[in-house]
Amino acid sequence: MVGSCISNSRYTYIHGSKWPNEEVDVHQIIVKKSGAKGFLVYFFALIILANAFHLFLVKGGSVIILLWSFLLDAFLVKLLWKGVTKESVVVMPAFGVQLETHYKSGRVARRFVPIDKILKPVLLECVTPVTCYWSLSFIVHGEADLVLVFKELRPPMKMLAPIWKALCAATGSKESLDTCKEDR
Amino acid sequence: MGERKRHRILMVSDFFYPNFGGVENHIYYLSQCLLKLGHKVVVMTHAYQNRSGVRYMTGGLKVYYVPWRPFLMQNTFPTFYGTLPIVRTILIRENISLVHGHQAFSTLCHEALMHARTMGYKVVFTDHSLYGFADAGSIHMNKVLQFTLAEVSQAICVSHTSKENTVLRSGLPPEKVFVIPNAVDTAMFKPAPTRLSRHEIVIVVISRLVYRKGADLLVEVIPEVCRLYPNVRFIVGGDGPKRVRLEEMREKHSLQDRVEMLGAVQHSQVRSVLITGHIFLNSSLTEAFCIAILEAASCGLLTVSTRVGGVPEVLPDDMVVLAKPDPSDMVQAIEKAISILPNIDPEQMHNRMKELYNWHDVAKRTEIVYDRALKCSKQNLLKRLSRYLSCGAWAGKLFCLVMIIDFIFWHLLQRWQPAEDIEEVPDFVLSHDQDDGIPRDNKNQSFG
Repeated sequence: MVGSCISNSRYTYIHGSKWPNEEVDVHQIIVKKSGAKGFLVYFFALIILANAFHLFLVKGGSVIILLWSFLLDAFLVKLLWKGVTKESVVVMPAFGVQLETHYKSGRVARRFVPIDKILKPVLLECVTPVTCYWSLSFIVHGEADLVLVFKELRPPMKMLAPIWKALCAATGSKESLDTCKEDR
Repeated sequence: MGERKRHRILMVSDFFYPNFGGVENHIYYLSQCLLKLGHKVVVMTHAYQNRSGVRYMTGGLKVYYVPWRPFLMQNTFPTFYGTLPIVRTILIRENISLVHGHQAFSTLCHEALMHARTMGYKVVFTDHSLYGFADAGSIHMNKVLQFTLAEVSQAICVSHTSKENTVLRSGLPPEKVFVIPNAVDTAMFKPAPTRLSRHEIVIVVISRLVYRKGADLLVEVIPEVCRLYPNVRFIVGGDGPKRVRLEEMREKHSLQDRVEMLGAVQHSQVRSVLITGHIFLNSSLTEAFCIAILEAASCGLLTVSTRVGGVPEVLPDDMVVLAKPDPSDMVQAIEKAISILPNIDPEQMHNRMKELYNWHDVAKRTEIVYDRALKCSKQNLLKRLSRYLSCGAWAGKLFCLVMIIDFIFWHLLQRWQPAEDIEEVPDFVLSHDQDDGIPRDNKNQSFG
């Protein structure tokens, strides 16, 4: 049952319930398929392979060149398959939150965080050497580091806000934008 | 008359808190006062140890500690184009209208101003130092400054001497350069509650013990003053490579009981050291402004200083005794200071400092510079390149090439990540009755 949907050029956010009669909240961030990315990866892999065969058969190059090109191709294809198709947050009130990461290979990584362990869900601004983005995390009792809700994806604030509000409601936290504030 | 224009300013420098110094203090206090005037201020600097990411400071001042590691003397490694993506992201997400760079030493400042100009933003530059013209380092630095200031909207210097120096070094039209002196937080630097006894005269020195700060002068001045005045005692605060020479001087002249070496003094402890003395001694060989003098005067100390750079402009004549950077002249100046010491009223001096130098005045004057900068006309790439070509036969062509590549890189970034995909962040607004941050949407703000 789909509740709401937000979309942009990279992601689609879908909010719904898993079962109509239960209060299990499901928030999904789905990566929009990029045909260009897949095409480029396979295209480059093909060029590398063709070049290696050319060197091996026509120019009489060593078999090591062929092996290296196979390894490079395998790495490129693995990069594509390591990609994430979607990440979801399953909120089960009075029970816990399950975080799921779905990979292109079909593998699903899951992590369950009990509700009584979540001290507070926080929205933070993250800074990397090249960009800034918003991230949603949990302050978890007994853990030194924050637990990232979306480990692989960087959805925009408009998609994170409803998830954050739902998590605040589930954990009984006050809705306030957290900032790292300090006195000089 | 219409409502005052609200600016959205990005302050950029490699030098910021938790580091302490003149530039760091200037950026911090100026930002705080601009926030109080209703402007939005964001600071961008590099990461300091584990201090990385976004932090909020007093008054809702937002600081981006970009995870670039310092390379040399707290400067980030010069990459030319490596900082463009992050600078562009911050400018868009914070909806910045003007970029203000600080300090000619700062690599991050030069790069951010270059990218901001490429993106069509108005830029202001503040120079906090004096430079020479002859040595290799200065020649190189002056060329970099010429490149940065070739297209700057307005420039600010901390003293008239500094303005003269900057105009000569960069070839910038003097009418584009404003003089706005530094200020002092008089609330932080108050005189001692009780007046000190004059049976023993205490001379305080607080500075980095390096050649530029005249540590070699101190080595010759201190023993002579101690010989002439048996009731004079010195307190030396600070650390540096020249500390060894001062220690040797103390041993040689057996002045262990009369010269106290404190070592490095934390900024929060400066006032407590200053109020133990009667006279403040500054022996700098070059100085654009010298905030240390202001801090000492605010604490009610009579200042003895070398007549260098912008120092003569800092204090009124009755608050300072100036001398040539020569040991004998400095000894004479200290003698004069000791003789006029009975006429000095620390409380009166503090009150005068409160009127003469305050950060709100600095902020209001800086606001005028921002208004002027935003009135500057926009120019296309070809017009801009002609300015760079006039920077020198070879340098001009090189600068043009750098700017063309930056322009291309910016356009590629716009294709790869359109501005619409970068979200504007809500503003952090402090309510008057509490110190909590209330996020407010940019669209509801009255910022220009």
